[in-house]
Amino acid sequence: MVNKVILIGNVGRDPEVRYIAANTPTTTISLATTENYTDKQGAQQSRTEWHRVVLWNALAQLAEKHIRKGTQLYVEGRLATRSYTDKTGVQRSVTEVVAETVKLLGSHPQSTNE
Amino acid sequence: MINKVILVGNVGGDPDVRTLENNVKVATVSLATSERYTDSNKQKQERTTWHRVVLWRNLAEVVEKYVHKGSQLYIEGRISNRQYKDKDGNDRYAMEIVANDMKLLGKRDDNSGTTNHNTDVSPIGTVPPPSVDEMPADDLPF
Repeated sequence: MVNKVILIGNVGRDPEVRYIAANTPTTTISLATTENYTDKQGAQQSRTEWHRVVLWNALAQLAEKHIRKGTQLYVEGRLATRSYTDKTGVQRSVTEVVAETVKLLGSHPQSTNE
Repeated sequence: MINKVILVGNVGGDPDVRTLENNVKVATVSLATSERYTDSNKQKQERTTWHRVVLWRNLAEVVEKYVHKGSQLYIEGRISNRQYKDKDGNDRYAMEIVANDMKLLGKRDDNSGTTNHNTDVSPIGTVPPPSVDEMPADDLPF
């Protein structure tokens, strides 16, 4: 079975890394992908999707060091749905992209493409 | 920019196929992908993820004819976060995969098996099906 996501987009805000346990950093990045397409009338249209991309461990550390608002990223991962209880006590579910590979794209101050 | 999803999985319930006011067909398929992994305690685990896949026009026709509960499918598409209002009028978001390619995998069935239309067995919850407003305006290459 295959559950694969490939995204290239721009980060919406500086990631906040938190530590679940002593050596378990994690962060969730907001990534925007924009696509241009031609509609039925022949006009150019644009659509932007915002994705929640979850990074763990080494990837979260990479984000802490090198990912900021505006960074262009390549992300490879899988879709995962999790349930949580919101502040009014209602059960909710959210689907996120759990990253397995992250590459920094474009030019950035300390160019460290890993 | 790239927004791409590739899934191979099994269909959880008979697909929902509708024809919208403008005669466009749309199908919604619940697809399950399972994977085995080893957790941090070195235990083998299995996880199943349910995906809501939306197929339009020609793809919806294929779904209507050939896809049923248990079908194994290859899906290529993009992530779409659709906004809708729940029954209390709150804004909610549902993630869907809008397919631009689909392949039927596995053996072809001799008979189509039971045709009882089960309600969706996946734990995705009730999200209203796509309407004319949600229809993508892009030109499909077929």
